[in-house]
Amino acid sequence: MLIAIQAVVLFPLWFEIPSWITAATIGLLIVKYLTYKFNIKLPSWFLLIFVFSAFIGIFAYFRTISGRDAGVGLICLMYGFKLLESKSYRDATLMLFISFFIMVMAFLFNQSIAMGLYLLLAMLAILSGIVALNSINGIKGLRHLSKLSGVALLQAIPIMLVLFFLFPRLPGPLWAMPDKSQGGTGISDSMSPGDIGSLTTFDDPAFRVKFDSAVPSASEMYWRGMVFSNYDGFTWREGSRSPTRTTNIPSFETRYQYRVQMEPNKSRWLFGLEQLATAPKDTYLFNDFTWRRPKKIINQFNYSAEAVVYDYQGVVLSEFHRSVNLQLPRTGNPKSREWAKTLFAQSRSTEDFIQRILSIINQQQYHYTLTPEVLEEDVVDGFWLGTREGFCEHYAGAFVFMMRAAGVPARVVTGYQGGEYNPYGDFYLIRQSDAHAWTEVWVDNKGWVRVDPTAAIHPSRIEEDLRPRATRRDDWFSDKVVGFDLPQGFLQKLQMRWDAIKSFWDDSLMSYGQDEQHDWLSKLGIHSNQWRYLGYGLVVTLLLSSLLFGLWLLRKSIKRDPVEKYYELLKQKLMKQGVSIPEHYGPQAIIELLDKRYPQLHEKYSIAIKFYIGIRYKKETDDESWFKRFKAQVKTL
Amino acid sequence: MKLIGNIKKRFYNWIDARLPANPEIQLRQRNIYILPTRYGWLMLAIILLILIAATNYQNNMGFMAGFVLLAIGALSIFYTYRNLRHLKIRVLKPQAVYAGDNVSLSLEVINSTEQFRASVGFGETKKKTSLIDIPNSDKAYYQESFPAHKRGWFVYPRMAVTSVFPFGIFQVWSWFKSPYKALIYPKPIAPSSPLDAGVNGEEDGSTSVKGSEDFYSVKEYQPGDPLKQVMWKAFARERGILTKEFEDKVGEQQLFSWQSVAHFEKELALSYLCHELIEANSKGIDFGLQMPSKKIDLGKGDKHLYQCLEVLALF
Repeated sequence: MLIAIQAVVLFPLWFEIPSWITAATIGLLIVKYLTYKFNIKLPSWFLLIFVFSAFIGIFAYFRTISGRDAGVGLICLMYGFKLLESKSYRDATLMLFISFFIMVMAFLFNQSIAMGLYLLLAMLAILSGIVALNSINGIKGLRHLSKLSGVALLQAIPIMLVLFFLFPRLPGPLWAMPDKSQGGTGISDSMSPGDIGSLTTFDDPAFRVKFDSAVPSASEMYWRGMVFSNYDGFTWREGSRSPTRTTNIPSFETRYQYRVQMEPNKSRWLFGLEQLATAPKDTYLFNDFTWRRPKKIINQFNYSAEAVVYDYQGVVLSEFHRSVNLQLPRTGNPKSREWAKTLFAQSRSTEDFIQRILSIINQQQYHYTLTPEVLEEDVVDGFWLGTREGFCEHYAGAFVFMMRAAGVPARVVTGYQGGEYNPYGDFYLIRQSDAHAWTEVWVDNKGWVRVDPTAAIHPSRIEEDLRPRATRRDDWFSDKVVGFDLPQGFLQKLQMRWDAIKSFWDDSLMSYGQDEQHDWLSKLGIHSNQWRYLGYGLVVTLLLSSLLFGLWLLRKSIKRDPVEKYYELLKQKLMKQGVSIPEHYGPQAIIELLDKRYPQLHEKYSIAIKFYIGIRYKKETDDESWFKRFKAQVKTL
Repeated sequence: MKLIGNIKKRFYNWIDARLPANPEIQLRQRNIYILPTRYGWLMLAIILLILIAATNYQNNMGFMAGFVLLAIGALSIFYTYRNLRHLKIRVLKPQAVYAGDNVSLSLEVINSTEQFRASVGFGETKKKTSLIDIPNSDKAYYQESFPAHKRGWFVYPRMAVTSVFPFGIFQVWSWFKSPYKALIYPKPIAPSSPLDAGVNGEEDGSTSVKGSEDFYSVKEYQPGDPLKQVMWKAFARERGILTKEFEDKVGEQQLFSWQSVAHFEKELALSYLCHELIEANSKGIDFGLQMPSKKIDLGKGDKHLYQCLEVLALF
């Protein structure tokens, strides 16, 4: 039983901890099972060696024994080991209670609904184990035990909810955690050919957005993340940039208001609908209009923001920024440079130049594919004048390269594009596969203009799987865009519904924290002394509910056996007649008493009492009908 | 340490004074106590750990798990309390035993509610208990033995009825005391030489009782006379139905006296007397007991024996 419980508890962790620890814990379980089955006693030196080697192993692997991953690994091992040496009630109880903690550790890795349900199950198993330990029959009445624990769990959940919402929350980590976690999937802090393309296969949600205002069209949904202005001939990186103050940016006008619920991306950038202005709480706005958190986002993170339109009339690009956004490696890609300069010379204006390039992309054999030929040197030359096939980062990179070659300040922007509307949750879901790269070109008096060269590719030359996504892009060639509507099948609806539930789970439950608590309290009109009110609320609701609950729970136990009830009634009737029945008198004794002292009552009452004796003490009676007759008898008395 | 011991002693004295000595104890709110067990504290520590970890990692699932456990812990108070509530304990009358044997305490535990009471423990202390189940609307019996070292009245210790069911995080308990005292007879020890019991036993004890052993006289048959005793020969000679009457000579009668054993050490003397009385009773002879303070006339049968033994036990 304990073995099974431990397996259940450890199961979700097996996927998270290093495989050798997983193997070791499974091994321990098997050893325990074998020793139990064949009744072998393990020598204590064996156990000692095991503990010792576990420490060594952890230290060798993690180079530390503190921190989340190493700690979890160590605890898992010790937990498995504890089972190995448990024999007494004490050991077993200890192990079961520790199981609760182990179970919670799994949440550090995964907070999904499925995990929640699974752990509810695990909790049920642990509780049943505890009940089994405390009852005489051990695990024999397993069904009864799990029913008992299930009822307890169900009754505990409402109390948990009250505590969950009312319990005063503290902000942030209590202590700094060494967290060397690997970067999650998502956009990275640099862009080289193939980076974003590799993301298209990830369907994980990146973030969800709810609009408080009007909703922009899908083709307007450019979620800006990072701006790359530094190019080394292969990789685009962030250039020189600094946090900005709101006084330094052009005047703007608000267009859309929205709230974002962001999945932890283990990086510091936030995404916002273009254009970005005022940064959310605790976030910096940089002068390339990107947002940046002071710390990595390791938990669900919610923020609200607005999309704006800047007014660049009369704004001049500073010399410094001009030079940053004109930077190119000194050598390389000579053909493209030449090509761009020639075309620029033919153009009437910057805008005309842009338009000409886009037309070329649209009309010549430029292909949009996830599997372009891999280029090693002079990638722009190779792509633009050679293979003519690539993904968004190829197009954006080449486009900016040629702009800069022609002396037009330009930069690469990465982020996400589009979003899938979920009608059940009324939100837009942006997935990792929506990752995209586009460009910004400085046009005098218009400022930074967004140009998405990928959107100019003719639909017929877009790889078929990528079409639905591509149609959502900026429609520079709107007349030629062909709509590809996915059939809205049942499965897809189901998927959306599930996503809505998941969004609720993540949005309302998993990201509930100090801020949210503060918000709803403020809505109730409680702005100061919130803790005190929370305390009051907590105490009052808990007292009230425990009172009600206690009454209800204890009432149930008072509910009496109906037969007994009528027997009591009968006795009371006798008492009223003046018969004093000593407390310990059984039914037979009462009949005798009546016979001796109250012959006139004997005749009347003895039949009913005999019925009672029949129901209570005779083995094979038809209880139902006997009870009915007994009831009738008592009533007529 | 001494201070704590003192306080403990005072506390238990106070408890003892409060305990009603009724044969029937109804467990209810005023006599049920509840405290967390050590595992309860452990669970609390684990919950705190979980909540701290949840705060640190801003992990709401952690909060949920912690709060569920907290709620279960709180509910445990009710669950555990409910397990004892409304139970009725009836202490059964004890039977007398000989010193050196075990004296037992028998309890009848009555559950008149519709709820199964699992793992209710009985014992001298809260910690050492043996568990029984009491099904709904049913009774269960519990017996505990105590070694009876000394003759006289055995006063039962204070008993505890406890329960940690279902989760073992809270322990409810109640104390009760048996209203009965058990009688402990002296330990029967065979005397090394026969007690000179007959010293004054036989001389005035030769009373005759009509019996079947020695022929005594002949009388007219009366219905009810044993057919064996009908004088069939006389009947054959047409002398009417006559029956023989016999006489049992009850010479074997003994009056045991304190005098005869007074020269032994007191307890040993009582043990000898005890043994002799039992012997006498098993032989089926008449016996009596002469103690300095009390005299029990000749008689026979178990009831008579116990009467005598009681005198010895309380001497």
